[in-house]
Amino acid sequence: MAKRRSPRTLAVTTGLQTGSQDQARREGLPSIRAGRLRTYDPAAPNVARFLELLDRRLTRAVASSFAGCVHCGRCAESCHYFLARPDDPTLTPVWKADQIRRIFKRRRDWMGRLVPWWVRARVPADDGDLNRLKDIVFGTCSGCRRCTFNCPMGVDTALLIRFARGLLTELGIVPEGIFNVSRDQWETGNQMAVTPTDYLETLQWMTDELATELGDPSVTIPIDKPDCDFLYVINPREVKFDPRSISQAAKLFHLAGETWTLTSRGWDQTNFGLFSGDDGLGGFMAENVHEAAVRLKAKRVVISECGHGFRSTRWEGFTWAGLDQTIPYESVVETIWRYLLEGRVRVDKGRNPEPVTFHDSCNIARSGGIIEEPRLVLRRVCADFREMHPNRTENFCCTGGGGLLSLPEYRPLRLEAARIKADQLTATGAKFVCTMCHNCVDGLADVIKHYKLDIRVVQVLELVDKALVV
Amino acid sequence: MSHFLHLLENEVHHAALAFMIVVNALRLGWMFRFRSRREKAWPAGKEGAGIAFSLANIIRPGAMESIRTKPFFYAQFVLFHLGVVTAIAETFIIPSAPEVLRVPGTAWTFRVIMAAAFIVGLLRLIRRFRNKAVRFISSVDDYFTLILVILFFGAAFLAVWADFQRSQTLLLVFFSLTAVFLIYEPFSKVIHYLYYPFTHFFLGRSLGRRGVYPLRPHPDKDDVRSGTRPAAEERV
Repeated sequence: MAKRRSPRTLAVTTGLQTGSQDQARREGLPSIRAGRLRTYDPAAPNVARFLELLDRRLTRAVASSFAGCVHCGRCAESCHYFLARPDDPTLTPVWKADQIRRIFKRRRDWMGRLVPWWVRARVPADDGDLNRLKDIVFGTCSGCRRCTFNCPMGVDTALLIRFARGLLTELGIVPEGIFNVSRDQWETGNQMAVTPTDYLETLQWMTDELATELGDPSVTIPIDKPDCDFLYVINPREVKFDPRSISQAAKLFHLAGETWTLTSRGWDQTNFGLFSGDDGLGGFMAENVHEAAVRLKAKRVVISECGHGFRSTRWEGFTWAGLDQTIPYESVVETIWRYLLEGRVRVDKGRNPEPVTFHDSCNIARSGGIIEEPRLVLRRVCADFREMHPNRTENFCCTGGGGLLSLPEYRPLRLEAARIKADQLTATGAKFVCTMCHNCVDGLADVIKHYKLDIRVVQVLELVDKALVV
Repeated sequence: MSHFLHLLENEVHHAALAFMIVVNALRLGWMFRFRSRREKAWPAGKEGAGIAFSLANIIRPGAMESIRTKPFFYAQFVLFHLGVVTAIAETFIIPSAPEVLRVPGTAWTFRVIMAAAFIVGLLRLIRRFRNKAVRFISSVDDYFTLILVILFFGAAFLAVWADFQRSQTLLLVFFSLTAVFLIYEPFSKVIHYLYYPFTHFFLGRSLGRRGVYPLRPHPDKDDVRSGTRPAAEERV
């Protein structure tokens, strides 16, 4: 018989792995020397620094979400973690948020300062407590914001989780995966450390493939072409694991008669600053894209299919970087919809006869505002499009959000929570689940494999590509 | 009327009320001391519409899945807060216009509301004790505040009857609890009404700007609900 877990035991407990940090320090990486990438120092007064950062970074939006919770517990059933493990009260959004809220109360709230035991206010005692907080904010929440949308008080729990992540990142108390990807973005300008050579060679390879497919040797994937209608920015995963999505986009743009370009610098639209809570990294990545657009005098920026990339590039990135937006930014799905409306490309939905459902990426729907466009496109290119339920702003996370895909230590819990998504997918009876996010592609693929579902993940571009009438 | 009851109904009540207002004002000042940050990206929707939508969420039980799927919880919410308003109204009516509560129809309305609110309060307390997830997050303040409010409701229920019968003991209890309630309020979670506009303002401003709020009913028949800005077909 399984041993009953005490409710006070955390759903996941991991030690702080610092192997990558130690190596990065030994190598003297420029980002570490410049103080942009933080590493853990066990001898440092980390708790005091944490509290000082908390005081300094508080905004009114964060403070009101800290102060506004009434512990009604309505958020519990909106969280896929809690729904998958309803006997574990440490998986409710409110409890997770309370672990940072109690520190806020002890520091800033009157009652918390005077009679902390009355309101459960408490500051971390040592680095062990901070590490425990790390497991909660990085390991048991994907920042999907479903609880935020379901809070009668309007408490933005995902905002609080990201706030706490940011404080811990500043101290180097982060999972290795978060450190590694942040390091790669700081050091190479892209999250998968794709070298310029690999990038350019992949684009050349895709150009050759596309020319062969279309039987037109003049087809190119332009790089650093100035004065174009738009600059297309992509996810490094496309270069490394899924280059066909680049050629699919190129083919579409070619058929639509578009003048567009990729850039040799600032091409990564993803942004691990969103996941790590590091506004510095967030601003750095956003500025890279912005600078590329300015340098190439692009009239707009089109963002390839990526959830957190879209959200951070289109929305938060400007704030993090302190930049004023000067040209429009849009998702490639919005671009596709415009082509279809303007009749610039022709499609045949009969080429996608199998039942297709759509998974709303949290960062694109709940936090990005792109909700109807993918549906409008899919209805044009698929013969049998069906909604999954719940959908749109009420959809459940793919379970891979919040950077969790790069955190293997939290994978067992993530896949346990994925039962909710698996049930959702199964209920549709679809053969394909379409999403407009690379993160979701991997997250859903994990769910499908783990729960042995008879369904395949595709992206919007892939289905549009199949339906294109050349 | 005894001198003590007169004191409780007037001077003590007004002093407690003034204390609450002053402390709440300080609370507001405290909240405004935190810096506010605005998003710099171009908007895709209207901030004002988003804020209005978010602020009005609480009177739209269909807007949130957590409420839509639990109509009994929403009914409890309405009755509980109606009870708060009614009990507070009583604290003014009894000293200044007691004849209002001597009208049988009005008195019964007050009694029914207060009785319902009292029962809802008890149900909430039972839930807080019995629901593992809720119990796990509950602090002493959560229990104390809820018990205080339940007692306040109970006293308000009895006070209507007491005034009708000229029973001073129950009125003494009611106005004593009123003073305690008013003095404790700014330090308890009851003050959430002061933060509600802040949380919903920030959420609504951000989501309104991004075109997520106001959620729109969608015409598709297989749709659950929701939607965002005007469909792309309408906009192009």
